[in-house]
Amino acid sequence: MKDKGFRFILIVIALSFFLLLLIVPLLSVFVKAFEKGWGLYYAAISDPMAIKAIKLTLLTIAVTVPLNTIFGIMAAWSVTKFDFKGKNIILTLIDLPFAISPVVAGLIFVLLFSTSHGLFAPLLNEWGLKIIFATPGIILATLFVTVPFVARELIPLMEAQGTSEEEAALTLGASGWKTFLLVTLPNIKWGLIYGVILTAARTAGEFGAVSVVSGHIRGLTNTLPLHIEILYNEYQFSAAFAVASLLTVVAIINLLIKNFADWKIKSQNKLSN
Amino acid sequence: MSIEIINITKNFEAFKALSEINLKIETGELVALLGPSGSGKTTLLRIIAGLESSDTGSVIFDGEDHTGTSTQDRKVGFVFQHYALFKHMTVFENIAFGLKVRPRKFRPSKEVIRQKTHELLSLVKMEELSNRYPAQLSGGQRQRIALARALAVEPKVLLLDEPFGALDAKVRKDLRRWLRKLHDEYPITSVFVTHDQEEALDVADRIVILNQGKIEQIGTPEEVYDNPANPFVYNFLGNVNLFHRRVEDGKNIINYSRPHDIEIRLEEDEGEFTLAEILFIRAIGPIVNIELKRLDTGDFIEAEISREVFKDLGLAERKKVFVRPRDFRVFTPDDYAI
Repeated sequence: MKDKGFRFILIVIALSFFLLLLIVPLLSVFVKAFEKGWGLYYAAISDPMAIKAIKLTLLTIAVTVPLNTIFGIMAAWSVTKFDFKGKNIILTLIDLPFAISPVVAGLIFVLLFSTSHGLFAPLLNEWGLKIIFATPGIILATLFVTVPFVARELIPLMEAQGTSEEEAALTLGASGWKTFLLVTLPNIKWGLIYGVILTAARTAGEFGAVSVVSGHIRGLTNTLPLHIEILYNEYQFSAAFAVASLLTVVAIINLLIKNFADWKIKSQNKLSN
Repeated sequence: MSIEIINITKNFEAFKALSEINLKIETGELVALLGPSGSGKTTLLRIIAGLESSDTGSVIFDGEDHTGTSTQDRKVGFVFQHYALFKHMTVFENIAFGLKVRPRKFRPSKEVIRQKTHELLSLVKMEELSNRYPAQLSGGQRQRIALARALAVEPKVLLLDEPFGALDAKVRKDLRRWLRKLHDEYPITSVFVTHDQEEALDVADRIVILNQGKIEQIGTPEEVYDNPANPFVYNFLGNVNLFHRRVEDGKNIINYSRPHDIEIRLEEDEGEFTLAEILFIRAIGPIVNIELKRLDTGDFIEAEISREVFKDLGLAERKKVFVRPRDFRVFTPDDYAI
């Protein structure tokens, strides 16, 4: 083959690009994290403030992921299995969080729920509720930002699969719930896992919107990314990278599961053809 | 179970899918809904199944109004055009599905379900494939599994949507015979949708011919083939030659004639023969297909003659012969515009 040389050059360029831009920075996170040894690494991630940040991030995940999964399934189901007016509006709205800058998303919630100048300030003050600069605000902002992932993953999948298997189940006497559980869910399983993983990854890593609504109160409203920023701003580089390495590990695990799900979806599609 | 369709109308936005359909299907009948695509046949089948709701009219099973009954409660077996097998389930699980999803009160025991499923597997002659997944089966096998799955819930009505549409010609013919046999052995009322007139004529007890959301004719295969009610039915059920004639009172008349009713002679006899040139001959099998061109009008004529007659006449391409419709039907164009 004459263009063997060309192919070789192309592959080398692509690989070195990835190496330089993706792998090296990723590795440097871990190098920097362990720069001052295991002791400091452990100290950084077992710091009470760090633990509180981890807990808050986990709590956010625990609330956001199930809610957006349920919403995502419902949205994808209604959009793909039924025909109704306003379908396109739903499709557009689902994408809204992708289009809006996270900072703006955060500000929206401040404008709505701030106790000093928010739209609902009188109500919130009367009931003594605190949303902005508190956990509910963080969860709300994260919910907003991660709305599209599950639905976006499921809609094309469910569209491709059509409704005939569900109709077959109905003619065989299966109830709506059983049809969903036994027919729809197994068919969308891997797409759903893919979507949930993406939601979880984004929830753990969301910085912009959460930064606006959190108020950065240490030990109270700091999620992992915010905690890392604070450490970094205080020149505690090793500690910052130590905590960052946690998020990186989570990201890598997510990536692996995502790839596996992707591969499963592909082989499933191959089977159905 | 008998099925009665009373005054069913269905529109999809501006498109009139069905208008004022009335039809009675007797218990134990095998009825074909025949028509070109867009004629509303599948829509009618789906309305009987409850998968689609009609705008007006009612669906009666055994004298009982089931217009508002949900699909789950209609207890009809439905075989989908592309099988719609559950692809993540094995053949066995597919067939057992209808029994497994019953509410606990009505659900048979595991052993009964297993036994019943195996009975059906042997009915469709697929026992050795019970652990396969649909993707590992051929089209004909999938179709038989789809049938077995529909029969598992012991429906009194079996509805089939283009059941053999996606299969190749040979498998199609085998399955057709098999379906006829199954229907004769199973106490069931069957309705199937097809756009293939040969299939309908071959299998059905009665044929309902639909066109643009209306019923054109209902009858046994012999009735509709021999006595088509109008040019559409005549046209749709087989190839047709048109002979335009002008009769005494100045009216235009069209004779409709099947290719096998075209007579070919070498010399002009008394009677209405016209001169034509043979354009093309296809002599495969016992029937010889001949395409001719009328020399007076330039119209094309299709003829089918037996190999013997073909040999006796010594026909060849480019040869000029005399033709006439031995048998024909007349539909005055004023009554029917096609």
